[in-house]
Amino acid sequence: MNKVIETDNLTKKYPAGVGCSEICLSVNEGQIFGFLGPNGAGKSTFVKILVSLLKPTSGAAQVLGRPLGDLSARRRIGFLPEQFRYQEWLTGEELLSFHASLCGLGRHAGRPAVARALEMVGLRGRERGKIRTYSKGMQQRIGMACAILADPDLVFLDEPTSALDPIGRREVREIILQLKQAGKTVFLNSHLLSEVEMVCDEVAVIKAGRIVAAGSLAQLLGGQIEVEIQAEGLTPELEAGLNGIAPLFRVEGNRLRVRLADREQIPRMVALITAHGGRIYSLVPRQRSLEDLFVELIERREVSQGVDDRRHHL
Amino acid sequence: MWTIAAITFKEAYRRRILPVTVLAAVLYLGLLSFAVRMLSRQFELTMDPFKEVVFSQIFTMGLYFGSFIVSFLAVFAAVGTVSSEIENGTMLAVVPRPIRRWKIVLGKFVGFGIMLVVYAAGLFLALTVVIERIGGVDLPSQGAALVLFCFQPVILLAVTLCGTTFLSTMANGVVALALYAVAVVGGMIEQIGYLVQSTSLQITGIITSLIMPVDAIYRKTVYVLMQSQIQNPLHAVMEMGPFGAHAEPSVWMLVYAGLYTAGALGLAMYLFSRRDI
Repeated sequence: MNKVIETDNLTKKYPAGVGCSEICLSVNEGQIFGFLGPNGAGKSTFVKILVSLLKPTSGAAQVLGRPLGDLSARRRIGFLPEQFRYQEWLTGEELLSFHASLCGLGRHAGRPAVARALEMVGLRGRERGKIRTYSKGMQQRIGMACAILADPDLVFLDEPTSALDPIGRREVREIILQLKQAGKTVFLNSHLLSEVEMVCDEVAVIKAGRIVAAGSLAQLLGGQIEVEIQAEGLTPELEAGLNGIAPLFRVEGNRLRVRLADREQIPRMVALITAHGGRIYSLVPRQRSLEDLFVELIERREVSQGVDDRRHHL
Repeated sequence: MWTIAAITFKEAYRRRILPVTVLAAVLYLGLLSFAVRMLSRQFELTMDPFKEVVFSQIFTMGLYFGSFIVSFLAVFAAVGTVSSEIENGTMLAVVPRPIRRWKIVLGKFVGFGIMLVVYAAGLFLALTVVIERIGGVDLPSQGAALVLFCFQPVILLAVTLCGTTFLSTMANGVVALALYAVAVVGGMIEQIGYLVQSTSLQITGIITSLIMPVDAIYRKTVYVLMQSQIQNPLHAVMEMGPFGAHAEPSVWMLVYAGLYTAGALGLAMYLFSRRDI
């Protein structure tokens, strides 16, 4: 599979601190890639480097097979910034025509591109209104239209749903999935973990400028499983035995919460409990959510999981 | 580059910078026309031999304060054209597009430059019409003076554009207006220097012209205009006053002003190409 983004120890240092440090990522063509992290972790810094707004302090990167800043690659990139504002004195249509012209689309190709983008973000019929009269959600949509205007192969979306209501969010998710269906790659920066979980194939988590986990959602979430058991007859001997197969467990009265390495451990655990005279009344396996993983990674002081090798092939 | 130039021009119009400045110019010309009409009536009664001198002085005064208007337009139009677009996030969507950063700066220079040149030329020609038609005085051919008058705001534009690539909007406004004030005050000091034969005052004026050559270009404009009336016996009187030009700024000053403008523009393009956004 073609690598659309490849970074090699990409680092950005500011006088006040580090924006991102030694980031090594590669993103495959046609994926929806989620880039997660708390505020100030370095998500936007990383994206800004890739779209040529910032110059890296060290390291290298290739976007669409070209070095950073290359104009031919930039023709194939769409970008929705987080802290964006468009020329409010323009109409939506004028703004898109301006960006079409910047992308080198002539009048011939520009008009249908503008119409298509307006249609896709649901602003058809509102294109003659001045941007200053648009609601926050409409401004977010016109920004999205700008990003997808020139039929880019790679789209960077930095918090694309932050100003949208639930319906608007769903529409953006649909646009993202449409882009994927069309073979485009989407690089999604977002705080909204449930959304990322719904659409992304791969994710990376950044904390204090460094990648702390990366992989497919199946890899990151599929391995471990949490099981909630209602049982009686739990003895200290049983708890000692459980330590052998599940180092992380919690007992609350007759409720037992156990985190297992994989689902194959469930029958082993059941056998262990019954062997110790325990009586199981219910057993509910619960898949870990991305939010669980995210909170765990961000709260963990020491980076250990998934970063033995700093290169993350995704 | 032309896309940026076009949107820059459109912005000046849509944000009412241009219409408001045109309105200011109309008010200014209206006031001047009224004064010229009153004086013209006076001269008709008295057949005053100083008529041409007085109208020449009014014309140069008109140009002097007209250059204030175009200079302020240059500064206020461009003062935040890069810095405020970075501050408010507009630039975040433009820079990643397949366009070199220096072309963004050049596009803004061309867009504002065309606006300023057209505006300055319009003001100059309107002043000429007021003096010739209402005052009844024939002004000789002013092609060279017109070009020089239009050059003044372009110098200030290049400097302001340079400032906006690395200074905040407020700081850039202060610096650009301070430089303009240095040029204007320096020009006056130089004229006084010629009047009282003080070499040190003249040198002070020359140094300020090197810091900001706008006033030197104004003096050159006036000198070119007055030279065309050299056959007038009162020519020496016409050159006097704070709006006149006792000595002609050399052609090297013109060359310097051209290089100064190109240097400021080049520096603006270089700085913007290197900065983080």
